[in-house]
Amino acid sequence: MPGCSKTDLHARAALVVAAGLACLPIGAVLGQSKEPIKIGIISEESAIAGAGISRAAQVAADEINAAGGVDGRKLEIVQYDDHSSAADAVRAFQRAVSQDGVVAVIGTYITEIALALEPWAARSHVPFITTGAASNEITRHIHETYDKNRFTFQEYLNSTFIADSICTSIKQLLQPKYVIKSAVVLSEDAAWTTPLDAEYLVCLPKIGVQVLDHIRFSPDTSDFTPLYNKIEGQKPDVIVTGISHTGVQPTVQWAQQQLPIPMIGNSSQATSGTFWRDTNGAAAGIVAFSLAVDGADLTPKTQAFINAYAKRFGEAPPYTGFTTVDAVNVVAQAIKRAGSTDGEKLVTALEQTDYVGTIGRVQFLGRDSEFTHGMKFGDGYVTGIALQWQDGKQVPLWPKAAPQSKIVFPSFTHLSPKP
Amino acid sequence: MSMLAFQILIDGFAISALYGLGAVGFTLMFGVSGVLNLAHGATMVVAAVTAWVVAGHYAANPWLAAVAGVVAGVVTAFATYYLVVRPIQRSRSVPTVEKEIFVLTGTLLWGIMLQEAVAYFYTDNPKTVPPLIAGVMQIGGVRTPVNELLIAVICWAVIGLLWLLVNRTKAGKVLLAASINPRALAILGFELSRVYILVWLIYGVLAGIAGVLLATFLGASSGQASQLTASAFSIVVLGGLGSVAGSLLAAYVIGYLETLTAYLISPTYRSMPALVLLVLVLYVRPNGLLGRR
Amino acid sequence: MTDGIRGLLRSRQVWIGLLVLAALLTLPLWVSAYILGVLTIAYYFGVFAMSWDLLFGFANEVNFGPTFLIGSGAYAAGLLNAQGVPLWVCLIAGGAAALLGGVVLAVPALRLSGPYFGLATLVAVLLLQQFIIIFAGRTGGEIGLTMNDVLSIDAITNYWYALTFMTVCGVILYVLSRSPVGLILQASGQDRIGASALGFNIVKHKLAAFCISAVFSGLAGAMLVFYLGTASVGTVVEVSVGVQVIIAAVLGGRRTIVGAAIGAIFLILAGEVLRPLGQLSTFVVSGIALLVILFFADGLLGALLRRPEEP
Repeated sequence: MPGCSKTDLHARAALVVAAGLACLPIGAVLGQSKEPIKIGIISEESAIAGAGISRAAQVAADEINAAGGVDGRKLEIVQYDDHSSAADAVRAFQRAVSQDGVVAVIGTYITEIALALEPWAARSHVPFITTGAASNEITRHIHETYDKNRFTFQEYLNSTFIADSICTSIKQLLQPKYVIKSAVVLSEDAAWTTPLDAEYLVCLPKIGVQVLDHIRFSPDTSDFTPLYNKIEGQKPDVIVTGISHTGVQPTVQWAQQQLPIPMIGNSSQATSGTFWRDTNGAAAGIVAFSLAVDGADLTPKTQAFINAYAKRFGEAPPYTGFTTVDAVNVVAQAIKRAGSTDGEKLVTALEQTDYVGTIGRVQFLGRDSEFTHGMKFGDGYVTGIALQWQDGKQVPLWPKAAPQSKIVFPSFTHLSPKP
Repeated sequence: MSMLAFQILIDGFAISALYGLGAVGFTLMFGVSGVLNLAHGATMVVAAVTAWVVAGHYAANPWLAAVAGVVAGVVTAFATYYLVVRPIQRSRSVPTVEKEIFVLTGTLLWGIMLQEAVAYFYTDNPKTVPPLIAGVMQIGGVRTPVNELLIAVICWAVIGLLWLLVNRTKAGKVLLAASINPRALAILGFELSRVYILVWLIYGVLAGIAGVLLATFLGASSGQASQLTASAFSIVVLGGLGSVAGSLLAAYVIGYLETLTAYLISPTYRSMPALVLLVLVLYVRPNGLLGRR
Repeated sequence: MTDGIRGLLRSRQVWIGLLVLAALLTLPLWVSAYILGVLTIAYYFGVFAMSWDLLFGFANEVNFGPTFLIGSGAYAAGLLNAQGVPLWVCLIAGGAAALLGGVVLAVPALRLSGPYFGLATLVAVLLLQQFIIIFAGRTGGEIGLTMNDVLSIDAITNYWYALTFMTVCGVILYVLSRSPVGLILQASGQDRIGASALGFNIVKHKLAAFCISAVFSGLAGAMLVFYLGTASVGTVVEVSVGVQVIIAAVLGGRRTIVGAAIGAIFLILAGEVLRPLGQLSTFVVSGIALLVILFFADGLLGALLRRPEEP
């Protein structure tokens, strides 16, 4: 600064530092009761599943704040669009942590991005919860290098559990009514489907279904005709799917070509409320795995959330909405439990999570499980559901069928009823 | 075995026709006005999504939606011309040697803007339009959606009309002349700017139809815009830049190569042979199959 | 321009350059780790753009696939690191791999011109992408490759690495561009026939330019993935990344080398500044870039430099 002598500068500096130090205890007390708690949400806003994450977070935060906040402090959601790019997500994470001061980051349904953020959570000592990425790789890193990677949690059923859930739904929902003895597994060639398919190949034979073929297609396939023709030639009773990046196109082409074989399994896009419109009704008859749906009534919170979301955004939440609204609550409760927003303490508190959310009872697996920090799967916890598209609506069929509902396939489907 | 051959024949035919329509517009644009419109894929996507919006939100019948889509294609084409291409071509600060590159970059950026705008309003989820004619029919034992055959018919009808236009009407002959020697045409007193307007109009119609048909057949999403452009670019170079017949031929070559690969080897490797072929052609015969110049 | 004026301009530019560099070096003292992180990425992008400008600005070859070179370098470095090779060796290997890739691409591609060359480079990127996805078992495919080592955990250290790297590359590229080799390239770009009539071996010089561009791109790509901690198709291979590189260079001002770096920094910073716009930030940034191209054909640097040159 012109006109200032060196001693002048030193004196000013000392004064500022002293003032700052004096403010700290006051600031700490004030901050405790007034400053909002910030949670960062990193998502892919141009994708339906991604937008669901940020929207659900808003709904969750508003509900928590309306009920008094967390220990008197309001929750503030800070949103970041990662444009489906890992580099963007990393930058967003850095900004969230060092610039915007978030205490935890929730987000992304893309495995690649979740894996890119995992080490940054470790470096920044800030908890990161993915609410849609299914790959087993995420928890494998946590299990293998716990001390480093314990800051990451997977609040979504991993691929292995998803496959188990689907196999069980085939056994309990389809096999009592139809002859299901053979299947073709049709998955997109992505990292999250590798453990999914591996588990299909184990759990399907266990329920008496022979796997005739296992087809993996490139995620940017747009013409499924060759695949469908091949599958039809093999005459399976059912097609078991593992698709997420694609959904509209294979479904539309399945209906247009009137493929006589029903499709059941993981079809992430089919869980979105707009899927019927996006496929112009071709979704009729598709049975898809999700964590919750309108009418499923898994817990008292399920329908309440669906209604709140639909009222605010005009459509039902995609699968990521359910996991995210629960994740925000899980973090809020962890903060209360830990009595602090410090990263290390939050991790310990998060590990003690026992929360009944919209998807069931949420608990995280511990160090003894191979899926450390993954979500606990099974009866009484989170099982997933099977829904079927009928007349523009998603009808829950398993584990609890909606009252007066039954399974309905399009007229071109050929299934042999059980004698 | 013959069933498989039939399936490949039919599936390949429809896909190739669709590729062909898109590529013809692209090559015509280059041939007549020297513009490589890198917003091509985005134009198709805008047409597709418009058709979807009209069909879904306004519950219109598929044909009306299709028309709306084509109109959107034309509007986008003109927007590209007046907002991006023409200003660059007329700009005084860009040296003439570099005009091509600036137009390329400009249309590239414009294409990104269109793509992002579509994703912003409608997400990047693929959109489909109800088939113009629903249902399936049996051809030699192969169950084929009627829509697929209709697409092939429409594509060829449009191309036929285009041929008639270029070879039988005065306007068309002017277009042809402009693609051969624009300077001579200008000397002869023809308004080149009118020629350009005509070619952008035709381009808009072609891209619009291609986009709408794509939506009824396979579906289109904003994320596919660059892939569609790259694909049209490849076909056009393979066929010979500026040659309409070449583009059609190349479209069928690539369409069938892809279909054969998808059926006989695996859908994962679908685009590999086409890429390899392209590389070979570039090195052995860069003018393409039927290219002149 | 007489030698005297050119000398004056040069020294003024050098002065400004040094001042800016000093400011950038001391940035960590008063700016947050987040902003340093953004600039780190921007600097690596700057090297991508400068390498591209050498080829385009001078050899007048539109390379649609800078990410072929960037991606080759990045993945080569990443794959080696996965085998336990020390980081510094991986970096050098990355540069070498990109050089190899560049030669393999350039030798046949340089026989082509105009849109054909552009297409060849585009096809190279698509092929690389296909390869990575098909061999997903080794390369991590769409999930990407996690690096065993990173350059540094500290934001400030990473920042200085990136800044130093960009400065060194920038100086080398700039000096090259103003050297006799650079002038020959420029001549061959503007008037190929005239230049070869004067006896210059155009192809040899273009090949040299391609190779230099390749080495820097590959090296920068390797450094970027060791900063991020992951290498993935979406960050170093996809055509969209290449598009950003091209836009950065054209936006900054072609044939200036420095302009490319400025364009890259501007693009990345604009993207961050506009982050609150969420989804629309890409739209707005592209829109701004388009406007700059339409109205300031010489790019940002061109617009800045225009004033001293006016009579």
